[in-house]
Formats: sequence, C-alpha cells, structure tokens
Amino acid sequence: MFRGISDWLDEPLPVLRLEIVRIAAPLAILGFMAGRLAHADEWIGDAGFRVPDLGGDWRQPLYVPALPSAIAWAVAAAMIASGLACSLGYKTRRSALVFASTLAFVAVSDRLAAFTVSKMSPTVVLAIAAGPAGSRLSVDAWRWARRGEERPPAMRPMGSMRFLQLLPVTIYSASGIAKARGDWLSTPLVLWSHLHDSYQTALSFALASSLPGWSWTLMQGLVLAFEMLAPLWFGLSRTRPYAFVFGLGMHAMIGLCFGPVLWFALLMMTLLVGGYLPERFLEPVDRLADRLERR
Amino acid sequence: MNTTRVALGVLAGAYLAGVWLDGVGSTLPSHLLPRVPNYFLQVAALFPRAATMSIDYRAEAWVCADKKWEELDTRPYFPLDPDDKENRFQRVMHFFRQDETTMHALDAYLVERHASGKGLDGIDSVKAIGGVRLLSLRIPLPNPGEALQRNRRLPLSAYPDDERHVFYHTPRSKAAERCGGASEGSE
Repeated sequence: MFRGISDWLDEPLPVLRLEIVRIAAPLAILGFMAGRLAHADEWIGDAGFRVPDLGGDWRQPLYVPALPSAIAWAVAAAMIASGLACSLGYKTRRSALVFASTLAFVAVSDRLAAFTVSKMSPTVVLAIAAGPAGSRLSVDAWRWARRGEERPPAMRPMGSMRFLQLLPVTIYSASGIAKARGDWLSTPLVLWSHLHDSYQTALSFALASSLPGWSWTLMQGLVLAFEMLAPLWFGLSRTRPYAFVFGLGMHAMIGLCFGPVLWFALLMMTLLVGGYLPERFLEPVDRLADRLERR
Repeated sequence: MNTTRVALGVLAGAYLAGVWLDGVGSTLPSHLLPRVPNYFLQVAALFPRAATMSIDYRAEAWVCADKKWEELDTRPYFPLDPDDKENRFQRVMHFFRQDETTMHALDAYLVERHASGKGLDGIDSVKAIGGVRLLSLRIPLPNPGEALQRNRRLPLSAYPDDERHVFYHTPRSKAAERCGGASEGSE
C-alpha cells in the first residue's frame, strides 16, 4: 500500500494544474475578502467592535488585540498586493508565503468574520508555495524566458498538487457523512429549508417558489450520494469526469443560490478544475503557455 | 525521499485526516491539537441540519429623554456585509449571546457609537441612550407549497412578540447612570 501511495505521488502531473490553482484561487479568496478589506480598520483594527479576551473560551481560538488602524490598513494592503502577485506569478513562492501569512492572521484575529474560506485559504496558498507554482503562465516564467534560462519541465511529480486534489474530496466525504448523521436522511426538505434567510438570492427565491417539493428531495439525495461517496467517484477513472461535472454544477448552484457563499463555491470550483480537468482540455492552455514562454 | 518532502507529506496527511475527522464529528482533533490548529480544521461540516426558522438578531436602545425602547439599527456600526447573516453583529450574537462579558462590551460599544453621532442608526443622535436590549427574531419558515415571500428586513415592530427572544438588556442601574437617573421603565 505504501508503494502504491508512493507511486501515485511520484507520477508526473502537468504543472499547469497547479498554475490554474495559483491563478484563480487567490482571486476567489480576494473576492471573499473584498468586503472585509474595504473596512480593514473596523475588521481587524481598533475602529470596530472587538470581542474581549475571554481567557480560553472555546469560541475564541486565540485572542488577538485590535491593531492600530494604520497597521490594519497596511495588513490589508499586504494581503491585496501579495494575493495579486501570487495570481500573476510574480516572485511566486515569496508572494504566496506572505499571502498565506496575512490570511492566517485575519482568520484568527477576527473570529466573527471568519468562515470556511478564511480557514482553508491559508492551507491552499501554502500548498501553492510548496509546489513549483509560477513556472508556467506567470510573470516569473516570462522573466526566465527573457533571460534565456532553461524552461522548467511541464510535467513533474507534485505532492502539493496531489494534496490539492485530495482536499475537496476529503471535504466532500466528511461533509456527506456529517449530513447523513444530521438531518439529510430523515428530513426530505433540508435543502429547501435553507432558502429562506438572508443568504437568499433572486434565483433561489424563484426556484424555491416554482420547483415542486420532490425535486428538492431528489437534489438532496444526489448531493448526499455525491459527497458521501466522493472518494469513490473521484478515485475511479471511469466515474471521475462525471464527478467533476457534477461537482462544478453543484458549486455553481450553491454560488448562485446562497449569496455570499459565492466565493467559497468559486474556490472549490478552482480546486476541482485544477485537480480534475481532463487532460485533453489542458492542451490548449499548454499551447498558450508555450507561446508566451517562447516570446 | 528527502526529509523535507517526508515532513511535508506527513503534515499534509495529518491536515487531511484532521479535516475529515472534525467534519464527521470526531472529537479526536480537538483533544490532540491546540485550539488554533484545530480551528483551521473546521471546514467540512456544512449545513448538516435542516433549518427550522429564519433567525435575525436585532437591537433596541433605551432612549433617555423619551423613556422608551426604540429599535437601534446596528448596521452603521458593523459595516461588513450589512444585509446578511455574515454581518459581524449577527455573528457576535450567534456565537456570544450567552456570554455576559461580550454582551457588556457590545452594550458599551453601541452606546458609545450612538453618542459619537457617526451613524444613522434610526435614533436621533442628540438623544442620549442609556442602554440596549439585544434580541433574536425567530421567523417561522413557510410551509412547503405555500406562497413564498422574498426575504427582506422589516422593522422590529412588524414582528409579533412571540417571534422575539431577548438575550440581554443593560442593567437598570447602568442605564440610570448613563441617563443621569432617568431610566424608570427600562427593566
């Protein structure tokens, strides 16, 4: 079994997979952070409300005092600059490490504005930093080409990409089991019940108003089967393309039906595209990267 | 295999195992790990339960001059995501409504913000407020098949008493002190 895992990790993968995540994930994360960044002094600074130090309360993983407003704005600027630099592939590893640090800081600094994207994004960006990100479709690659340096290989073993492939599958599997242990097997309208609060969008309202009850139960069953058995769907080469398309469709619907969850949906779609886009669809991107690197 | 690669592999494997275990409801990660790493694992258990009602948190303020409670719009003082449940006021109430220390801090923050006159909170800023009453609205979900109404924010007065649940109010002595001894009637 160890040999099998080792072979799987050592199998060369197109570097473009990691570059897709490097380009799109920081943009999805910055999109999620945009509303917070616009009010950095209220968010992590001393201009807004802070939960006091509760001395070890389980709801407060770490007490971080409010930053002076000027420093809060500097952290926000560092997050934006490093996130954009990472996406563009400019000094990629360094910018990814700075970006991940700012993301980890804001996630613990303010528990109130922290959600799933806040908690998983430092890990995603660290995985980008740990791999050969920035070697294709990037400012770094363009600069190397101009200096006449040898082009890095387009295919190589990438433990970090394997990690990013496993991450969404792990989340689906755990989430599916949590749903099965919760209400998803016993209550037929769980999905429908979540369409009435402040996450509601025009589309979710229209769908909740027009689709018959059984269709929500059907979608609930499909989502549950997809998530609980995700390791199987993504593990088998025969079912993988269907799982990929279903996952994209599910996240598109989540993004369109649950207002602010859009950025989480885009981040998960990025991981799916980077991790599981069939290789024949990577070929045009590969040709584009070749052309840019020859200039 | 070099040591760094092995170490990164072990770390990645432990992270994925932690995310999975936390998501399925195991307490193993929270027993083994310090609180900060454990917090970063809490990403997977999304929407496991059916919603039974739509919850919205609101505030009222004790207006010293008028000797009555009036709705205080908290959104100018919590400007991030003002119109949905990701708003920081909604979140502080969601997590800390039972925590007295945090509720006292929130009380002081709202009174100070109103007095600063920096936000249009629905109460004339020249009128001092002695304290706040913090509550949730528990709005029943429609029955399947019923005509639906688009989710929107209505004034507190539009909701019946049985949909309101008060979690905190400023102690009477504190409100009297802030109002200069004029708080009769504020619980």
